[in-house]
Amino acid sequence: MPSEKAITTDVLIIGGGMAGCFAAIKARERGVEVTLVDKGYVGKSGQTPFAGSFAVFHPEWGHKLPEWMEQVNTVGEYVNNREWTEIGFLDTYDRYQDLVSWGVEFHKIDRPPQPGRPRLGPCEALHTEWRRHAEILRKQALKAGARIIDRVMIVDLIKQDGRVTGAGGFPVGADDLLVVRAKATVMCAGAGGFKAAGWPIHELTADGDAMSYRAGAEITGKEFADPHSTSAEFPAAFNHIMRGGRPMFGLLINSEGNPVRSRGTLFLDLEFEAHAGRAPITQKTADGQVTRIGGAASGMSVHKAEGVWPAGTDCSTSIPGLYAAGDALGNMQSGSVYATIGLGLSGAAVTGARAGWGAAAYALQADLPAGDGDALGGLREAVYAPLKRTGGFSPRWVTQVLQNTMVPYYVMYIKHGDRLQAALTIVEFIGGHLVPKMYATDPHELRLAHETKNMVLNAEMRLRASLMRTESRGCHYREDFPRRDDKNWLAWVLLREERDRMVAFKRPIPEAWWPDQSKSYEERYPYRLPGEYIAS
Amino acid sequence: MAVQPVNVELCNGCGICVRICPLDVFRMDREAKKAVTRYPEDCMLCEFCVMDCPENAITVTPDKSSKLIVSWG
Repeated sequence: MPSEKAITTDVLIIGGGMAGCFAAIKARERGVEVTLVDKGYVGKSGQTPFAGSFAVFHPEWGHKLPEWMEQVNTVGEYVNNREWTEIGFLDTYDRYQDLVSWGVEFHKIDRPPQPGRPRLGPCEALHTEWRRHAEILRKQALKAGARIIDRVMIVDLIKQDGRVTGAGGFPVGADDLLVVRAKATVMCAGAGGFKAAGWPIHELTADGDAMSYRAGAEITGKEFADPHSTSAEFPAAFNHIMRGGRPMFGLLINSEGNPVRSRGTLFLDLEFEAHAGRAPITQKTADGQVTRIGGAASGMSVHKAEGVWPAGTDCSTSIPGLYAAGDALGNMQSGSVYATIGLGLSGAAVTGARAGWGAAAYALQADLPAGDGDALGGLREAVYAPLKRTGGFSPRWVTQVLQNTMVPYYVMYIKHGDRLQAALTIVEFIGGHLVPKMYATDPHELRLAHETKNMVLNAEMRLRASLMRTESRGCHYREDFPRRDDKNWLAWVLLREERDRMVAFKRPIPEAWWPDQSKSYEERYPYRLPGEYIAS
Repeated sequence: MAVQPVNVELCNGCGICVRICPLDVFRMDREAKKAVTRYPEDCMLCEFCVMDCPENAITVTPDKSSKLIVSWG
């Protein structure tokens, strides 16, 4: 029987990227005990080490809030949450100052405009040295007095009397159970792909969304696919691609020798071109040329889209005791498109800080419930089930069949109701029949099994949200509904569990945030999607 | 493919790669006191191990291939 270790803390933070470290540091400022758990190593965790751009809004640098807001509203095609978009700008300067005071160095880069693309607007970002800022965040979290537990995969949240009171998981190098009882929990294990080649996000398997969903939280933004691309020559080699003269900024040439038609602020050009039969698509680089393919981050949403729906600007959620930040918080700050560079990292800092303060305030007035009822029994079972099975299906094979279903461009990038439904049928089978029969022979495989389970749930969320949104908008393109539909879809799609079923529903966007309906469709949406007709 | 076996001639057994790998690819061989590339198929080519290894004992190549898809596995 594996051993069990139980610890208590005021605030538990799950995930140690930019958001998790900020949450830890800011919660410590309020004098509460903080425990930060990561299935990898804080300082090398999540997308943070690979992100180099940090959006900073500062009026003294000549920035004007209405202009910055207008960029996100229009580029994000009006499904951004304007309250959060504004917070996401106004808080950035303070978070930037925090980082500078901890030793993070920023510099300006004048990026050349991308050929054939309009400038998005006035928003700009400062740049940091990759990886270095993540290491500094770890040091600062430790200096602030946070307890860091590396290499423990949290599997599920503990819920008692409708409130989240901690979480449990196991060390990836051993099969012990770790239970963390906490007055407040901050979910920072956000985003998730299908371990597709091309983007270094293989440890991001939608764990935060999956755990929060299973605990009853509402999840949003799953239909807005992240459009990053990679090279066909070395699809998995992120570093190799980035060293090759940053080819993502060169002119794209299709198989007919013509430049790929840009669609302005819509970023699925590669997919549109491939779908029309004009791949391979090449791009000149400093030292030759590469062949570019899309879907590098397949299974992930645009930053700040996917995640737990926020209940308040303190990053609380619909479940007492549960907070979320970074890409685990679906605050829709950027809408349907990644509308300005650097918003991913700065948004993680902004929401991380707010979640840290919010969770600390909650912990200061809350007591831990006495006893654990039967909450731990279910957790124990959930953690160890794959290790107890002597056979069935390996997590690597289940991941592979999931990838075969979900990664080809015609499922999550060029969508159609028929194909989404077909993929959903298969994914429901994977989730219903293969996932419960996955087995693990050691703790490493136990991690893979839990990751696979979460990825399958993420796939179901993406398919259901994409089926629900019967229109096209930003990074959600339906060839059976190739127009934006303001009448029906100035709304967010949310998902939650009801009687063991995933239910999708709409949450309307406040009318004050709608695009000006007295303007013509072409004025509201200047860029055309393939197949879109204009009613004259 | 991707991460290569740890060069045992160069490895000093410090365990940094085991600790920092986001995908849990390495393990320590406690008897030999050397790191071992135990799960290379899970490598995502981030190269943290290459960058942080004090003895330059780890190499990551830009190619990565996956297993054939089979009927069950």
